[in-house]
Amino acid sequence: MNTSVLSLAGIEKVFPNGVRGLSPVDLTVEKGDFVTLIGPSGCGKSTLLKLIANLHTPSGGKMNWWGGNFGDVGRKGRRMAFVFQDATLMPWATIAKNVRLPLDLEKVDRATADKRALAALERVGLGHVTEHYPAQLSGGMKMRVSIARALVTEPDLLLMDEPFGALDEFTRNRLDEEMARLCYEDGLTTLFVTHALHEAAFLSSRVMVMAARPGRIHAQYEIDRSILRNEEFRLSDQFAGISRELAILLEDASRESMIQQEVRA
Amino acid sequence: MMSSRTFSLLAPVTLGIIILGIWEGVCRFWHIPPYLMPSPSAIWRALMLDGVALLHALLITLEITFAALIAAVVGGVLVAFLLVQSPLIERCLMPYVVIMQVTPIVAIAPLIIILIHNTPLALTACAALVAIFPVISNTLQGLRSVDPDLAAYFQMHKASRLQTLTRLRIPSALPMFMAGLRIATGLSLVGAIVAEFVAGTGGNSAGLAYQILQSGFQMDIPRMFAALFLITVAGLVLYTAAASLQRFALRHRS
Ligand SMILES: Nc1ncnc2c1ncn2[C@@H]1O[C@H](COP(=O)(O)OP(=O)(O)OP(=O)(O)O)[C@@H](O)[C@H]1O
Ligand SMILES: [Mg+2]
Repeated sequence: MNTSVLSLAGIEKVFPNGVRGLSPVDLTVEKGDFVTLIGPSGCGKSTLLKLIANLHTPSGGKMNWWGGNFGDVGRKGRRMAFVFQDATLMPWATIAKNVRLPLDLEKVDRATADKRALAALERVGLGHVTEHYPAQLSGGMKMRVSIARALVTEPDLLLMDEPFGALDEFTRNRLDEEMARLCYEDGLTTLFVTHALHEAAFLSSRVMVMAARPGRIHAQYEIDRSILRNEEFRLSDQFAGISRELAILLEDASRESMIQQEVRA
Repeated sequence: MMSSRTFSLLAPVTLGIIILGIWEGVCRFWHIPPYLMPSPSAIWRALMLDGVALLHALLITLEITFAALIAAVVGGVLVAFLLVQSPLIERCLMPYVVIMQVTPIVAIAPLIIILIHNTPLALTACAALVAIFPVISNTLQGLRSVDPDLAAYFQMHKASRLQTLTRLRIPSALPMFMAGLRIATGLSLVGAIVAEFVAGTGGNSAGLAYQILQSGFQMDIPRMFAALFLITVAGLVLYTAAASLQRFALRHRS
C-alpha cells in the first residue's frame, strides 16, 4: 500500500507544439513534507504543478494522489488546493465570497460556509475585511485572501506556484513565516514553487533543484525538519550555510540548462 | 476650490451659453431671416408654441428607442451566448453578423417597412438592427475575457458547466457588456430616428423625425431646430443614464 500524498514516476510532458516541457520526472511527497521546486525560468516548475493539479495531462508516466487516481481527489483526506502567482480573486465579489468560493462550488450550506470562510480569514489575519472588495486591498492582503481561500477547504495538499513573487521583501518574509507555521505546526503538506533561493532555504524540508531544456530534476537537498523557522533562523549561520549549498546546486543546474541549449543550437 | 466634478459640468455649460449668446447676437445684428438661420430665442419660441406636439412626438420616438434597445440587448446577448458555445457555430454565424453590421440601415429600412406592416414594429426592428451589433460583439468578447487562472481554479474544483457560467463567465463578461450597452443606447435613438425618416410616417403615431421633415416642407426652420434640440437632449439623457448604470454595475471593480 502506497501511503505517499503524491507519487510521480517517469512523468513527461510534451506540448502539442512539440516543446518538451518535462523529461521524465520522479517525485514523491510524503505527509507533512514541505517540498520546494526551484530552478531557472522555463524549467517546467509550473508545468509540473499543473500536471499535479490535473490542469495538464501527462504525455507519459504514472501519477498517484494518495495512492489513487485524480477522480478521488477532493474527497475527505484527499483535498488539494492551489495558490497561483497572482491572487486570482473574483473582482466582483466580496472577500468573504471569494474565500467561500470552493465551499460554494461543493454546495456546502451557506451558514457553515460563512463560518469557515471567516475562520480561514482570521487565520491569515484578515478577519476584519470580509465585506471589502479585492480592489480595496493591497497586494500582500490579496495574497493572504488567496491563501485563506486555499485553507478554507482544509486541504491535505497545498500547491503554490510562486505565490509571493510579486511582493516586497518584508511582506514576503512575514508570509513565509506564516507558511512555515502552517506546515511545521499544523502539519499542512505543501508543494511550493519559487524563484527565490532564500525562500526555499527558509521554508523547505526538501528542495528539488530543476534544470531546463528539457525540464528535469537536477538534484535534491534535504533540510532538517526540526529547525524552528523563525526570524532567528533567517539570521543564523545554519541558514547561510543552507543558502550557500543551494546556490551552488542552482548554479550547476543553470549551467547545465545553458549547455543543453548550446548543444541544441 | 471647485470640485473637479462641478468644474467638468460648469465648463461646457459656460461655453454653451457663450456660443448661444454670440449666435443670438449675430442673428439680431445682421437681421438674418429665421428661414436661413433662426436665433436661439426664435427656436425657444417655437418650442414653447408647439411644445405639446413636439413632446408627444419625442415620446413616440423614445418608445421605439426603448423597445429597440430591449430587443437589441436580449437578442444580442442570446446571439453572443449561442456564438460562444462552439467554434463551429461561430464560424457559421459570424459572417452573417458582420454582413448585418456593414449593411447601412437606410438601405434595408424600406425593405423592412414593406415586410412588416405594423409601422412601429417595423421601426423598432430597424433601430434594433442598428443597436444589436455592439451588444453581440462586446458580450462575446466579455464571455471570452475570463481570467485563465480563475478558469483553471474552477476546473480544478470540479465546477459544473452551470456554476462556471453563472459564477465566472457572466460576471467576467459584465464590464464588456456594459460598455456595449452604452453604445447600443445611443445607437437605438439614432436607429429609431433614421428609420422614421425612411418611413416618413404620418398620422398620430409620428415621431420626431416626421416633425423635422414636416417643418422642413413648411419652411418652419425654428420648429425644425426645436425638434433637433429635443433629440439632442434625449440623446444626452440616455447617454448619461447608460453611463451611470455602467458605473453602478462596476462600482466594486478597480
Ligand atoms: N501551454 C504550453 N504550450 C507550449 N509550451 C509551453 C506551454 N506551457 C509551458 N510551455 C513551455 O514549457 C516550458 C516550461 O514552462 P513552465 O511554465 O513550466 O516553466 P517555469 O519553470 O514555471 O518557468 P517560470 O519560472 O518562468 O515560471 C517552457 O519552455 C514553456 O515555454
Ligand atoms: Mg512558472
